[in-house]
Amino acid sequence: MDFELTDEQELIREAVKEFAETEITPIAAELDRDHRFPIELIPKLAGLNLMGMPYPEKVGGAGADYVSYVIAIEEISRACASTGIIVSAHTSLATWPVYKFGTEAQKDRYLADMASGRRLGAFALTEPAAGTDAGAGTATAVLSGDEYILNGTKMFITNAPYAEVYVVFAKTDPAQGTRGISAFIVEKDTPGFSVGEAEHKLGIRGSSTPPIYLADCHIPRDALLGGDGNGFKVAMQTLDGGRIGVSAQALGIAQAALDAAVAYAKERVQFGKPIATLQAIQWMIADMATQVAAARLLVYRAASCVDKGRPYSTEGAMAKLFASETATRVADRAIQIHGGYGYTESYPVERNYRDAKITELYEGTSEAQRMVISRSYLR
Amino acid sequence: MRIVVAYKWTCDPEEATVRADGTVDWSRAKPGISTYDPVAIELARRLAEAAGAELIGVTAGPKGVGAPIASKAALGRGLDRVVIIEDDSLREAGRSELAAVLAEAIRHIGGVDLVITGDSSVDVAAKMVPTVLAGELGWPAVAEVSAVTGQAGALRVERSIPGGVQVLEISGPAVLAASADAAVPRVPGMKELLAAGKKPVEQLELAALEVPPQNAVMAVRGMSRPERKARKGQLIDTADPAAAGTELITALREAGAL
Repeated sequence: MDFELTDEQELIREAVKEFAETEITPIAAELDRDHRFPIELIPKLAGLNLMGMPYPEKVGGAGADYVSYVIAIEEISRACASTGIIVSAHTSLATWPVYKFGTEAQKDRYLADMASGRRLGAFALTEPAAGTDAGAGTATAVLSGDEYILNGTKMFITNAPYAEVYVVFAKTDPAQGTRGISAFIVEKDTPGFSVGEAEHKLGIRGSSTPPIYLADCHIPRDALLGGDGNGFKVAMQTLDGGRIGVSAQALGIAQAALDAAVAYAKERVQFGKPIATLQAIQWMIADMATQVAAARLLVYRAASCVDKGRPYSTEGAMAKLFASETATRVADRAIQIHGGYGYTESYPVERNYRDAKITELYEGTSEAQRMVISRSYLR
Repeated sequence: MRIVVAYKWTCDPEEATVRADGTVDWSRAKPGISTYDPVAIELARRLAEAAGAELIGVTAGPKGVGAPIASKAALGRGLDRVVIIEDDSLREAGRSELAAVLAEAIRHIGGVDLVITGDSSVDVAAKMVPTVLAGELGWPAVAEVSAVTGQAGALRVERSIPGGVQVLEISGPAVLAASADAAVPRVPGMKELLAAGKKPVEQLELAALEVPPQNAVMAVRGMSRPERKARKGQLIDTADPAAAGTELITALREAGAL
């Protein structure tokens, strides 16, 4: 078993870190404070082939392995968790279903633009009354001649105001429950499609997550993605990969909080010496570092399963479950180490703390991950 | 046009620690391309993009400089190929010896129109290699270069001088040392990094280069930490700024600092 990264993976980490430190870190606090989507970063990320890393070069991607991709998400998220999820949602949730389930015509039309980052994507599954219970969605898609007519509301749609290509889930046969869900590709500016006001959130404030509204939205028949009634399968398989991206985001947040805590502990002097000399702080750092290292192993292992063509649903769920709860825990301890200063905006750890929580919730709550994991062991 | 960029694979002293006996512990320092060399690569790339050129990286040093990751790191930044001299006898090599080795490598490559180097290396910071290298090659050396344009045999070089910019025209090959702030190096793209491993790497044997022996040998005999002077720890009450200023000046005069 080789725990070392390849040369390429190490160099990718260094390059993404360099980009993050020069382009993302300087604006991260402002993005959070102003709830601002970093629109200016998208072409820069695309210019470095960071918007479609795991897709083959011939379809516009970078042709990178999945481990390299999660390393990139980790380093971006270390600087700014909002930017991390923008990239991950575009790459893993929006582009992947087109790559995996798209017809040749759909791939010709969308894939190169999405995998290269020229067009941003979004994934629209969640509804006001259908979160973890994704099968309870009520959005409908009625076939009428050569068109589908979509109606319904989707919530918390990452990238929605800036995306141009949306993967939208709606029921073509409501009586069939999850088997009646189908997936569709909807383009921005389609009549009947609109984007609502962005939510004001606890964290990842630079990531825009408004609702989208479908009101007699007519789309061509060939916008159906993955076949009639296959939407639930498309969604679940997409989320299997998406949660590895979120686990990498959580890992980046945890690492950022740990780094901040270590730096602060070495500088802060109380009782005549740095608090890093106090056992209480030392043990906190030890626990935090161990948890982050363990999270890293789970995240990279899940990504490695993708690279090796092995099943990764359970491994991805474990990675997301552990990394997300680690991020919350480590960010909490980081604030504790910072004391009162950690509670102010003068230090980044309060943002890490607020950003961390969402990783336990979206793309499958921790409870949903536990369902996936336990099912694989108890069947 | 054929442009050589001389780069160094080394550790950043910021990551090293000094032991109590004054020796340096490099074990936790991760090697990488010397901090200012990517600036040199960036200047070379800009010239190559404008005028068309082959970009060749050259490096010489002890075991490690020929590691695949070292070559990929350089190639991933936009070089077309690299030429490496890896020999442990270079571990203690002085700057003149290193420059002589680089000069032989450049002669081996042949047809070189321009050499660009970083301002200095992050670990030694001697600022000697570019000038000595130029001397070995019999070419002009220009330091503090902020920009270079033009063609082979007709280069236009800008260099930062106090209060302004000096513009030089150079009609033949030259060695240019890029100033540390000449350019912000572009970050390597993912495709560039993934393709780096496929680019040519040529290893030259030091013995085969027939580097002329140095006239003098320089050896480092020791290193020590500077003696720590005890701080006076004198506090000046600044409630009355004028009185505080007088007290400060008096204290500095008594200490011989003024």
